[in-house]
Amino acid sequence: MFSGNVKAAINSLRSSKWRSLLTMTGVIIGITLVVTTVSLGEGLKRQVVGQMNQLGSDVLTIRSGKLVSRDSRGKVTGVNVLAFLDSSTLTAKDVSALKNVDSVKAVTPLAFVTSSVSSSSGQLDNAYVMGTSSALPELLHQKVAYGDFFTNEAGNQKFAVVGTSIAHKLYDELNPTGRSISIAGEDYIIRGVLEPSNGGLLSIGQTDFNSAVLVPFEQAASLTEGTNIVQILLKSKSSDTDAAIRDVRRTLLATHRGHEDFSVLKQEELLGVVNNVVNKMTGFVSALAAISLLIGGIGIMDIMLASVSERGREIGIRKAIGATNRQILNQFIVEGLALTVGGGLIGVIISLLIFLGLRLYTNLNPVITVPIMLMAVFVAIVVGVIFSIAPALKAARKDPIQALRGD
Amino acid sequence: MALIGLREVSKIYGFGEASTLALDEVDLVVEKGEFVAVMGPSGSGKTTLLNIIGLLDRPTHGSYLLDNRPVARLRQTRQAKLRRDRIGFVFQSYNLIQRLNVLDNVALPLAYKGMTPVKRWRAASDMLERISMRDREYFLPRHLSSGQAQRAAIARALINKPSIIIADEPTGNLDSFDSKVVMELFADIHRQGNTILLVTHNPELTRYANRVIYMSDGMIVGDERTAIGSLARGARRIYFSRYRRTAEDITAGVSALMHDVPGKEITDKPKRRTPAKRKKTARRSRRKVLSR
Repeated sequence: MFSGNVKAAINSLRSSKWRSLLTMTGVIIGITLVVTTVSLGEGLKRQVVGQMNQLGSDVLTIRSGKLVSRDSRGKVTGVNVLAFLDSSTLTAKDVSALKNVDSVKAVTPLAFVTSSVSSSSGQLDNAYVMGTSSALPELLHQKVAYGDFFTNEAGNQKFAVVGTSIAHKLYDELNPTGRSISIAGEDYIIRGVLEPSNGGLLSIGQTDFNSAVLVPFEQAASLTEGTNIVQILLKSKSSDTDAAIRDVRRTLLATHRGHEDFSVLKQEELLGVVNNVVNKMTGFVSALAAISLLIGGIGIMDIMLASVSERGREIGIRKAIGATNRQILNQFIVEGLALTVGGGLIGVIISLLIFLGLRLYTNLNPVITVPIMLMAVFVAIVVGVIFSIAPALKAARKDPIQALRGD
Repeated sequence: MALIGLREVSKIYGFGEASTLALDEVDLVVEKGEFVAVMGPSGSGKTTLLNIIGLLDRPTHGSYLLDNRPVARLRQTRQAKLRRDRIGFVFQSYNLIQRLNVLDNVALPLAYKGMTPVKRWRAASDMLERISMRDREYFLPRHLSSGQAQRAAIARALINKPSIIIADEPTGNLDSFDSKVVMELFADIHRQGNTILLVTHNPELTRYANRVIYMSDGMIVGDERTAIGSLARGARRIYFSRYRRTAEDITAGVSALMHDVPGKEITDKPKRRTPAKRKKTARRSRRKVLSR
């Protein structure tokens, strides 16, 4: 009987294609939003986790502002999203002071300079021009594909190391080593090209290293008249990072005159911060998706109630030839499910097309997994059942004689 | 043993002053294998009687025994299953589901029985073969002629091998040729031992029945056993004195309506037919029948 109901439901959808498609719209939008958001969030988390695993647990991140709230034992209890908007309180003095801390093996700052770079063949406005030190490749396990990274002594030399996207977009070649790149009106010589990285916006350096142009920290300071240090990365000497955190905190409190306007974060804490931000974003968009699904569900209920009225005679015939109330109920619920599951599948297909676009034209890597698809189908089924129950009950309870008259 | 037994069955529609007595303490026993034609004017309760026998409706009072088991107060699901297994319906307007092809329409009762698609399609195909409609299996109802549609509806009614066939004016929408084809089909079904209850306004069709019931104002006013092939006596009377509306009747109706309106009086008296003229009309209509 179920296969009969499914066939009847598909027949019913096919007999009024446009109406069915318009009815599904709310569900399609809702499912597309849910799948896209969850997959994007999942993709970002995976990128971050991948990077963190690559870095190892002895790398610490210092960021400006109090990003997290902690309890008395130092455990992270919450994330302060507004702290991301603070202007940087980290300075070159902090970097120098941290280099002298015993428990710290290596320190490298990441100072944002500008996003515009140009060469003789064109200009790019979405690059990450960052000032950093020679310790960066070691800290981030970031290898250089062509040429070399700049050395400690290169502070006053105008050298730059670029990511693969910059090499491709600005020079249309894999290895533009030796060519010049213009940053804020100053020409720099490209000394090396980084290997492709899978880092994303929310990753450790908040930098897409494929689109990065790295210059010596001293050069960055001269270009921007004062530095805008986004974060400082450091490596602890021992795998027990607690001692290093204590020392770093003490040192920074000294340079900040006792004012704690910075955060020292372990890898897993940073992951927690990223997860928190992603979850909040996902939650917000999911709320929008839920509203869309609610409206879509009400639309489906409305159309199905109209359909029950229009098909009164058919219901009467089915009852006269022996359909029980439950069989009529099932038939209409299956029809509602066909609408929502159909809408859900269309939503998933649209999401896949969106992902294709995102992968082709951005550096976001959304991840669609079987659980996400099952979740989409499950949501569609739940919406279908909830919103088709009322019309199905109305159909099932129809009096056969009145229904046969078409009332 | 009686297949159908109605005892003092009444059906009242509506409440209070707006209530209508559709059936008035009807007693009826139908034996297995009978072909019962039910005749009577519109509003006499024929369809209500069939709806109650077909378990589409419940009597307000009285009892209904199907195979000596009371069925009138059964739960809806149980009644639906009895309709599915024991009763086949044929309607005046065929009532095929327009979105399903002929094969699916005929197979539908089997689907509600839980039969697998292949089995029910095979059974439906065999049934369509029996009524010479196999070549129309994949036609939609709108692509069939009236006679074919009604034959498909009969096939659907027969697919579950029901013990009772209920036909409510099955030839009402058919021309004389298709009516004959459909009635021959009913005769064939009857010969195979099925019980048939047929509502009709056409006295000619009583030739196929072996019992004719006459209804008026919700009561059975006549019950006549007749030989198959011959016109029932009561039906013959109806046939020859078919009610014909005259100008006189129309005026009488209008004057009845105007009775309560003050200041309006009917001035023109209707012309009355003379007894001689009435006889002449009756003779003319009898001659017409004989010439058929």
